[in-house]
Amino acid sequence: MISIHLKKGYDLNVAGKPSRELKTLPPPDQVALLPDKLPFVKPRLTVKTGDRVQVGSVLFEDKANPGVKFVSPGGGTVVDIQYGPRRVIEAVVIRLDGEEAFAQFPPIPENRIADVARDKLAAALVDGGVWPLIRELPFRNIPRPDTQMPSAVFVDLSSEEPFQPVPGVYLRDRADLLRYGAGVLRRLAKRVIVSIADRDAGLLAETGLEDAPDCFPIRYRGHYPAGDPGVLLYRTKRTAKENRSWFIRGQDLLLLAGLLRDGVFPTERTVVVGGTGSPVHGHIRTRIGAPLAHLLGGAGPNGDTRYIQGGLLSGYAAPREGHLGLYETGLTLIPEGRERELFGFIRPGYSKPSYSRAFLSVFHTAPFERNCNTHGEERACINCGYCAHVCPVDILPQYTMKALRADEIEEALALGLLDCVECGLCTYVCPSKLELYQTLKNAKARYHQEMNR
Amino acid sequence: MKQTVQKLFGVLGRPFETGGKLEKLHPLYEAVETVVLWPDRVTDVSPQVRDHLDLKRFMSFVILALIPPAVYGIYNTGYQGRLASGLSMDTAGVLWTGLLIFLPMLIVSYAAGLFWEVLFSAVRKHPVSEGFLVTGLLFPLTLPPTTPLWMVAAGISFGVVIGKEVFGGTGRNILNPALTARAFLFFAYPAQMSGEVWVRIIGGPGPAADAVTGATPLALAPTLATGVRLEPALREAGYSFSTLFWGGYPGSIGATSAFMCLIGGIFLVLTGIANFRTILGGIAGVLGTGYLIHFLADPAASPWYSLNPFYHLVMGGFAFGLVYMATDPVTAPGMERVKYLYGFLIGALTVVIRVYNPAFPEGVMLAILFMNIFAPLLDQFEISIRNKRRVPNV
Repeated sequence: MISIHLKKGYDLNVAGKPSRELKTLPPPDQVALLPDKLPFVKPRLTVKTGDRVQVGSVLFEDKANPGVKFVSPGGGTVVDIQYGPRRVIEAVVIRLDGEEAFAQFPPIPENRIADVARDKLAAALVDGGVWPLIRELPFRNIPRPDTQMPSAVFVDLSSEEPFQPVPGVYLRDRADLLRYGAGVLRRLAKRVIVSIADRDAGLLAETGLEDAPDCFPIRYRGHYPAGDPGVLLYRTKRTAKENRSWFIRGQDLLLLAGLLRDGVFPTERTVVVGGTGSPVHGHIRTRIGAPLAHLLGGAGPNGDTRYIQGGLLSGYAAPREGHLGLYETGLTLIPEGRERELFGFIRPGYSKPSYSRAFLSVFHTAPFERNCNTHGEERACINCGYCAHVCPVDILPQYTMKALRADEIEEALALGLLDCVECGLCTYVCPSKLELYQTLKNAKARYHQEMNR
Repeated sequence: MKQTVQKLFGVLGRPFETGGKLEKLHPLYEAVETVVLWPDRVTDVSPQVRDHLDLKRFMSFVILALIPPAVYGIYNTGYQGRLASGLSMDTAGVLWTGLLIFLPMLIVSYAAGLFWEVLFSAVRKHPVSEGFLVTGLLFPLTLPPTTPLWMVAAGISFGVVIGKEVFGGTGRNILNPALTARAFLFFAYPAQMSGEVWVRIIGGPGPAADAVTGATPLALAPTLATGVRLEPALREAGYSFSTLFWGGYPGSIGATSAFMCLIGGIFLVLTGIANFRTILGGIAGVLGTGYLIHFLADPAASPWYSLNPFYHLVMGGFAFGLVYMATDPVTAPGMERVKYLYGFLIGALTVVIRVYNPAFPEGVMLAILFMNIFAPLLDQFEISIRNKRRVPNV
């Protein structure tokens, strides 16, 4: 077993930690799929408002990646297709029937996986709508179903970001499904690399993945984003060929396996809800695309509370009446923090968390309450180097940002732009409040578009 | 209290808003407002949460670290002035005299510098950067107490405009603005910047018996005959090692006390605002070069050659320059390892200039400015090595 210790990175230590208790919610009234939150996907709708859909019916296809389909996570009626600025499709909303109908796919028994040809297996995943759960590094796009075999596929079971489901909860009673999924991945990629945090490492033996053939477990410890597949790839790769490895999150692998084993699109999602602004703190078993208010048990708090989907650092702000994204497994609610403070910059700052040592909070070990204030205004980069210090993949974000501003894409690439794991820590620590993460992420996206023109 | 202040700014801010009478001065208003009232800006893109450290706190920590040398500088300036003028030496009087000398210089420095900052900010529609607050305090601390106020204004104007604003403002300058200002005065008005300028005579009965007159420690060596050893000569002139360390001698207002710079330096390093690598490198550079000269050169050839290298650390403005100017992140290299080299070369150059170039008694200013120019090259050097070690990803 490979052991990796990430010394860089940073842990936020946020208050409002969710419990390990798992609550199963009744089905919501409606579910939705959010096309514009899927990176690089150009949707072509195959349904219109009023259409009847089953669980597993195709809702839209990807123009940029022909053949890739996105299927309905619920059975019922398409009640709304929401458009954003420039006709971007924001959400396809489905009102659920009392008795949902399921589209049927041919199931594959576990002992037959090895006999199915690789392209047939890929086609089954594409048709069943679970192909988009697999993503390709370094751009984190959905791979083309016909790409050649990647050198590895990473399965990340744990996450260091606040707040994400812990494998001990979402894997409970599902070890066989995980093993089944790993068997499928073995046919798709040369190696299956299963990563797990040191604290959860006992689970690996329980699931039986530790000594499965072609399975390479990685145990890691360290600060966020230690478990990110991009970080683990950066730490283990030897040649440039490995850069295009695939990854799939542990929960997504359960969905993928569920489809092939049972022949119906699985709709179950384990989500963590937390944060100081949230009335609920814990693990919740619900549906893909469930309304956020549903997770909070009716109407969630309003006013000065921000809803963050994904994690605090890599996630995005969602509207109160929004829905859970396809990939997102966390919902964190924290106050906006619009209060002004008298002479805020020179206070001792015992309750002001900081990566630097310039606050008395260095002596504060309890979790901190967080808000969305920027805690300062934007200034020019002073080359303090905090971003380079925290970057888990040794990019120099400050120099990369300057190279990108000067349109020196070659220089940015040499600095490791594509190794960026989009963790958001550089922006988080920046005292000049520069949007380094956005700059790097946008540059990567632009480069991806250029390459695929 | 907060509500009152918020209301007050609401009223006071009206003329500065777009369309108001003082619209052009909005950067000035904004600078004052955001110092008093923390802005309420929230994130609009990911990541949704941000660190509490910002440039205001970053820069105000440098100002905090400058308090020990500044306060001691005020005391020492008053002390030396009253000693030379033969006035009573009570602490309150000494501090008062020091304040009378230093405060006008500080006010002129801030006022003249701020004028240019606000002018450039207004034209560029940028906010006023906090970096200036450091420059405006650093600069008068590097000056002799006899500097006329118009010269302070001229110096800081040159430093802010040519040293910083022509490049685009704080963060984009290649030279330390405070040192640029100091260097400008040094070369433009050499008579007022070197020689018998280190004590401000403030009238009175005349020098007391033990008043220090004559050359500063750095200017002493060239006046000595060859073959004379420098250390005893320094002691004789009243500059023992401990005097030089504690700082009770005439010199630039804030830069005489190595001890106060040590306190400031420890504060900056502990809080992570200044990088210890530059400072360690600088000390190593001075000692390394100093010992090299000490052991290799013939002590009879120059008084400098016999000097214990530790003297270089406490003489003149080296400690001040190393702690407060060499560590300026904007003009120092950004890469970790070359920071040692950068500091080392500053220390080495300081000693070389002091020992081998009697035309410039103070080497640290030129050494830092010189190395500022080389900082990007040092960075490039380390970055290219680092890039080669990466597995390519294109």
